[in-house]
Amino acid sequence: MRLPVISILATLMLTVPCAAGAPASEIQRLIDEATPGSVIEPSPGIYEGSLRITKSITLDGQGKVTIDAGGEGSVIEIAAEHVTLRGLIITGSDKSVSGESAGIKANTGPVTIENNRITDVYFGIDLKQSPGSIIRNNTIIGKELELGRRGDGIRLWWSHACIIEHNTILNSRDMVFWYSEDLMIQNNAVRESRYGLHFMYSHNTTVRENHLTGNSVGIYLMYSNSIHLLENQIDNNRGTSGYGIGLKDCDDIKVVSNLLAANRVGIYIDNSPSSADSTGLIHANKIAFNEVGLLATPNTHDNTIYDNGFIENEEQVSVHGGGQLFLNQFAGPDRGNFWSDYNGFDRDHDGLGEFAYEPRSLFRTMLAREPNLRLFVHSPAQQAIELTARAFPELDPDPMLSDPKPLVLPPRFELDTIEAGPGGFRMGILSIGLILSSLFVMIRLTVEREISAHPGAPRHD
Amino acid sequence: MSTINLNGTAHHPRNQSTATVAYLSFARSIMLIARREFRDALSSKWFLLYTIAFTTLAIGVSFMSLAGSGEHGFAGFGKTAAGLLNLIMLVVPLMALTAGAGTIAGERERGTLLYLLAQPLSRTELLLGKYVGLAIALICSLCIGFGLSAGLLAWRAGGVGAGSFLMLVVFTSVLALSMLALGVLISVQSRRAGVATGIALFVWLGLVFLSDLGLMAGTLLFKLRVQEVFALAIINPLQAFKMNVIINLNASLDVLGPVGMYASQEYGATLPWLLTGVIVLWCVLPLSIATLIFRKRGGI
Repeated sequence: MRLPVISILATLMLTVPCAAGAPASEIQRLIDEATPGSVIEPSPGIYEGSLRITKSITLDGQGKVTIDAGGEGSVIEIAAEHVTLRGLIITGSDKSVSGESAGIKANTGPVTIENNRITDVYFGIDLKQSPGSIIRNNTIIGKELELGRRGDGIRLWWSHACIIEHNTILNSRDMVFWYSEDLMIQNNAVRESRYGLHFMYSHNTTVRENHLTGNSVGIYLMYSNSIHLLENQIDNNRGTSGYGIGLKDCDDIKVVSNLLAANRVGIYIDNSPSSADSTGLIHANKIAFNEVGLLATPNTHDNTIYDNGFIENEEQVSVHGGGQLFLNQFAGPDRGNFWSDYNGFDRDHDGLGEFAYEPRSLFRTMLAREPNLRLFVHSPAQQAIELTARAFPELDPDPMLSDPKPLVLPPRFELDTIEAGPGGFRMGILSIGLILSSLFVMIRLTVEREISAHPGAPRHD
Repeated sequence: MSTINLNGTAHHPRNQSTATVAYLSFARSIMLIARREFRDALSSKWFLLYTIAFTTLAIGVSFMSLAGSGEHGFAGFGKTAAGLLNLIMLVVPLMALTAGAGTIAGERERGTLLYLLAQPLSRTELLLGKYVGLAIALICSLCIGFGLSAGLLAWRAGGVGAGSFLMLVVFTSVLALSMLALGVLISVQSRRAGVATGIALFVWLGLVFLSDLGLMAGTLLFKLRVQEVFALAIINPLQAFKMNVIINLNASLDVLGPVGMYASQEYGATLPWLLTGVIVLWCVLPLSIATLIFRKRGGI
């Protein structure tokens, strides 16, 4: 619903655009004078200062209204239910750690925050006890601070049943959910941050089709139960933790149809499930080109892992600190996983290898004993050790897992494939350049020319 | 030479021009020998063999690693990179060491070295000329192999970027130069080409396998600390080369575990220079020693 009066009033009052920026108190006055439920559309321009919204209104900037707090406190604080912020450009919060300032801060809800651009802020959107809120289609870019000093892009605190979708976050710490249940988190993109999505004690949530790339960790679930991770694309998360997905003490997690590529570790399982009667499911994920495909602590148990493609990970599965994973099932009812390093065969053409996939590697076993030896990966000496182990079976270590029904072909994935970079053309140029220049040198140096030999030159023909 | 040039600039123009002529004559002699050596190399079997072998292996490794990655644009540190790295560390030192080992010892065995030394050339010029000629031949051979495998990667859109790949070519060339210098050092000390090749093979075995295996055993037995493992490892030019390539592809050595992380944190941006310094030292030292020995020993 729209109150034209307010709009007209606003237009009348604020028709004088100021190059240097009008004070935000002009909008604040509109808010204070508005009746609950009204829509406020300030005239386009830059407003300096911060806002405090104390009644249920809609503030719509239509993408042309900038509010700049100038580095002091939070930019917009919401202290009322049913507030909608739409189409605003919000910038310049305080950056002190103790202040926890934010672009948008709410202490009650529900609120709707959509189509905003929030830049140069400590926290992006910070909701406390705002159940039923919607955060949609915002772009949040944090301050250029070192990773640990940044604020969170989006933080939910005791806010159940929220929808968070189509947001883009850059340069922040985490998109983090504290004590918030029944959320819907989909189609968000988080880049260059610490943890893409971070769950603390937040249960019963679906996380679907998010794109998490270039963070320290893609998705980190901690002490959070019954979470479904579906069809997310998680790549190039290589920070100090460097997990695509990390599961710490979580029960009943389902990780299904995700793409995990080029992370330091694809999936890290730390004591999940932790309760005796719960299980974990890792199904139909593509886990490719990571340093370690699946890393698990030795106490990990009761996970069912099948129909995944473990493709060309430097190390397919590793046990943190050494040990075995026989308390987990690396196969479903009728099929296991695809392992790109499986060298068995399929005699009866049922799509399953005729003998189990049981990775054993003397070098990996030595690595588990002495991590410093990792220095020697990618070297001929590593190959020499593996060859020795194969030649002398008594040196061969025990396998760390067994997949009784390995797939001989990688499962199909419904995910969009990632486009190849534009490197092909430059690579082609490089290829031609290298070959041509070596040919040029060859011809130049071999074709006999008139050598104006000085007296000391030897002749040789 | 250049110092004479600088000193003479102000007061003795005549002196300066003599110095310049001497320098030019030095460079020209080296280039003449280099040209002869290069031409000999091109017409010899080893060059053809090495070029074909390296090219086939490089293309094979690229192709096999791409077969696994399929349509996806990225490959992490990647089987392509890891495969190429392994291949380079095995083959390039072998090529360079044996090529270097054959050069002086071969001429000595055939008796042609005395003929060369009878020319109005200093022994330093002869040795450096041979080194330069072989170096150009080796780098050409590598460039053909890399060029063709880059062509394959471009066609199949592999995970390695063109810039990283170019750096790989550069690092490999520098590695080849240092191994060639080592080969030449072996060569000036040997009377027969067969003996020189044998020693070169033993040195290759030592650098590629034995030193790493020894260091692994040491790490396990003595529980060496990260800084000790790192310091001992980078003495080996192959390890220094490997770390340089990984830094170039990956920006960090986290792939190499605790030792790599220590190196990245401790040395930061200077690490590539440190590693390159080690390899360059492995080039300059053997070549200088070889020159000294050759000047003393000459044709015999």
